[in-house]
Amino acid sequence: MDDLVIGMAGSGGDGIVSAGESLIAAAAYEGYSAMMTKSFGSQVRGGESSCRVRLSTTHVFNPGGILDVAVALNWEDFLKFGAELPVSGATVVIYDSKTGVEPAAIPLAGVAPKEVFAVPIGDLAKQATGTDKAKNTVVLGLIAGWFGIGRQGILRGLEKRFAKKGLALVQANEKAFILGEQFAKEHPLASPRAMDRPMGVPGKKMLVDGNDMCAAAAIFGGCQFFGGYPITPSTEVMQFFTREVWKYGGSALQAEDEIAGIGAALGASFAGKKAMTATSGPGMALKTEMMGLASIAELPLVILDVQRGGPSTGLPTKPEQSDLFMAAFSAHGDVLRPILAPTSVADTFDVTVEAFNIAERYQTPVIILSDQEVAQRKETVDLIDTSRFTIEERRRPTDAELTDYARFRLTEDGVSPISHPGMKGGNYQGAGIEHNEHANPTASGKVHAAMNEKRFRKLAPLRLRRDLFHIEGNKNAKLALVAWGSVAGICREVFTRAKGEGLDVKLLVPWLLYPVADEVYRDFFASVRAGFVVELSHQGQLYRILRMFTDVPAGVVSLARSGANPFQPDEILAQLRNAAVSLQQPDVSVPSEE
Amino acid sequence: MKSSAAPALPVFQAKDFKSDLKPIWCPGCGDFGVLQAIYRALAAVGRPPHEIAFVSGIGCSSRIPGYTTAYGFNSVHGRALPIAQGIKLANPDLLVLVAGGDGDGFSIGGGHVPHTIRRNPDITYIVMDNQIYGLTKGQLSPTSPRGLKTVTSEYGSVEAPVNPLLYVLAYGANFVAQGTPADMAGLSEVIEEAIRYPGFSFVNVQSPCVTFGGEEAQVKAHRAHMKTLKSLGHDSTDRLAAMGLAQLYGQELHTGVFYRNPEPPPTLDALFRERQETLAGKALPRERILDAFIQK
Repeated sequence: MDDLVIGMAGSGGDGIVSAGESLIAAAAYEGYSAMMTKSFGSQVRGGESSCRVRLSTTHVFNPGGILDVAVALNWEDFLKFGAELPVSGATVVIYDSKTGVEPAAIPLAGVAPKEVFAVPIGDLAKQATGTDKAKNTVVLGLIAGWFGIGRQGILRGLEKRFAKKGLALVQANEKAFILGEQFAKEHPLASPRAMDRPMGVPGKKMLVDGNDMCAAAAIFGGCQFFGGYPITPSTEVMQFFTREVWKYGGSALQAEDEIAGIGAALGASFAGKKAMTATSGPGMALKTEMMGLASIAELPLVILDVQRGGPSTGLPTKPEQSDLFMAAFSAHGDVLRPILAPTSVADTFDVTVEAFNIAERYQTPVIILSDQEVAQRKETVDLIDTSRFTIEERRRPTDAELTDYARFRLTEDGVSPISHPGMKGGNYQGAGIEHNEHANPTASGKVHAAMNEKRFRKLAPLRLRRDLFHIEGNKNAKLALVAWGSVAGICREVFTRAKGEGLDVKLLVPWLLYPVADEVYRDFFASVRAGFVVELSHQGQLYRILRMFTDVPAGVVSLARSGANPFQPDEILAQLRNAAVSLQQPDVSVPSEE
Repeated sequence: MKSSAAPALPVFQAKDFKSDLKPIWCPGCGDFGVLQAIYRALAAVGRPPHEIAFVSGIGCSSRIPGYTTAYGFNSVHGRALPIAQGIKLANPDLLVLVAGGDGDGFSIGGGHVPHTIRRNPDITYIVMDNQIYGLTKGQLSPTSPRGLKTVTSEYGSVEAPVNPLLYVLAYGANFVAQGTPADMAGLSEVIEEAIRYPGFSFVNVQSPCVTFGGEEAQVKAHRAHMKTLKSLGHDSTDRLAAMGLAQLYGQELHTGVFYRNPEPPPTLDALFRERQETLAGKALPRERILDAFIQK
């Protein structure tokens, strides 16, 4: 086998997530590509918890759909995850026999899996360690035994994890692992599914989540200040900064609220340092006024919005792509803020470095629109050659420009040299009030129009940045998929499979969502007669924005649904097949009005 | 430290801090006096204008940075303190001043005051307290006295005012003073002392609104009733005594230093700098920051 999707659920204390962590760490170490997502109930402690781990010998684009392996430590908790842990007839189902459920009576509606194992998971754990705390270690043994992955890596991981707590505990857990492994060997699968060896070389992969990647990329990109406030699912970014940024001469402030967080970051930018804040939907709402200030004061600032289900508190721990309208449009006055979206943990690095570069080059706030899945999933990432990145700095005034300094000089490209406190001769008044070239307040309509025009003009080159779009497939394809954020990973898999089965399809994945690069889309859509803009939101917000700013063929429709309802590659593939068939129908033209 | 880093030369005069911009304030506004006092204090402190960041929010008084030659940031309503902290932390060598009105500081921005105090950044906060919203033409403000009739309190205010002095003392501010443009020498002096104080310092200025303020809140009345804390024999190192006197806000006009912690605690910026120095050697080179994620 070259690809395996494992889903596990249990109650909070069962250590399901830590089993997932051990498994993915072992897989990463051995050179597999892997991805792990976690999902919890809303309880702070306890309650239900689950994780999915997908492994591949080549590349993992997404957490996968239907499970190949389902592990239920108890059924009540497993069933709470519904569509997040979907089971088919081909899924190998493993559960704790202590639940008292007969293999023929497992409570999974609509399926009768062929391979179901009631395993005395708790008893084996007790036998090995004296308590049933090591249930998760027994599960790892079962997985290693049946699917042939990670034995060395897992044993190594157990040793690392329990080393601090003494040799006895390490040995007890090793025993629990071996008991699980033995059980698997004594009860072989009817159709063996051992994983093939990975393509990668051991010890050459990173294992990281999107939030940590974003924070690391920001520091790499020169970020010297972070101001923020805890909010799920972005908090890990602040945690990374408050741990690491000092080492690079920077500072991080956990502020009293979302507004103070972005305010401090904006202050740091005014003082000449690269700065960022991170939040999620509710925090974005609060930061809106300060983003407007950043726009009119022309200060570079990076704002990370890790989207979750909304509106209001919504679904704090689940992904959704429903903040795009807010990111683009929540402003009073005429405002254009660039929005970039990462699609994976790996490209979160590129997107974050790019966000800082755009912010600095154009002296503008830039929004990184991530989502809960990309931000909190763990992914193996191939080593990144950081030397291929250019890091940009804001344009400072020259000595000559400082002799008659005009902070908001109307230049040809709209970018005016920017000074900062401490720079002699660069003294100016930053302000939220409209200002003339010399930064003095004004209520002149003429000046206001000129300044608005400047603030838009300077961002015009962004619409020509074809390098911020990933287009794959035959240039003249009639079928198309457009997807952004975490959903792009699903569509990348769909695209590969669709091509494999002979569909004439192409794929567009934008990093730059806004401003809409109208020409890029126009070129892409030129050959297209049918397709889908696939999004995890009720409204299909990117589709709507594309309709506002560029021409979208009538046959390209929105394929959108609310967050926490992950798309399955199979369903999108089925839609593409249907679309292909419909294109083969003779053209039934609508009689014209004339 | 903003105070100890003052260079011996060049010597600055008040006029060096005056910009060409003409204030929008009404003739006779108390804020003119505050502005003069700030010029004098800055000249006495002696930092060049380009090493000063002067931050404000929104309101008549928040226009004040623009009337100085310092770097200014006339930001959004109530948010000057967070912005100022970001500036100070990004460049601790700057002298950071914050100014605004009572509405800016104790109504819309009131939530930032306690947190700024407990963090103790080395910045100075000057509130021009006129007990009224002037820029929007005469509505109730958080420091308006009970019973005040305004365009939004036709029948008299039924709310008790915020007491800015007690507010900041209660949250542990280490330097708290009050002044009035009725005593320019005294006002310049407390502002200068506040700027020199290492840590967060707060100056409440009773700054009359000539257009919407009551008669008892004008410079003439101030002159008649003000009492210097010195003349009362107040010991400004006594925090409880300061709180006792501060309770008389709204009844008595006390000027001078209410409280000055003789043992200034470490500032936020100094603690951050210390942390940067301690951890500086522990970084992977920036271009290798991702190495920490490799599964070896």
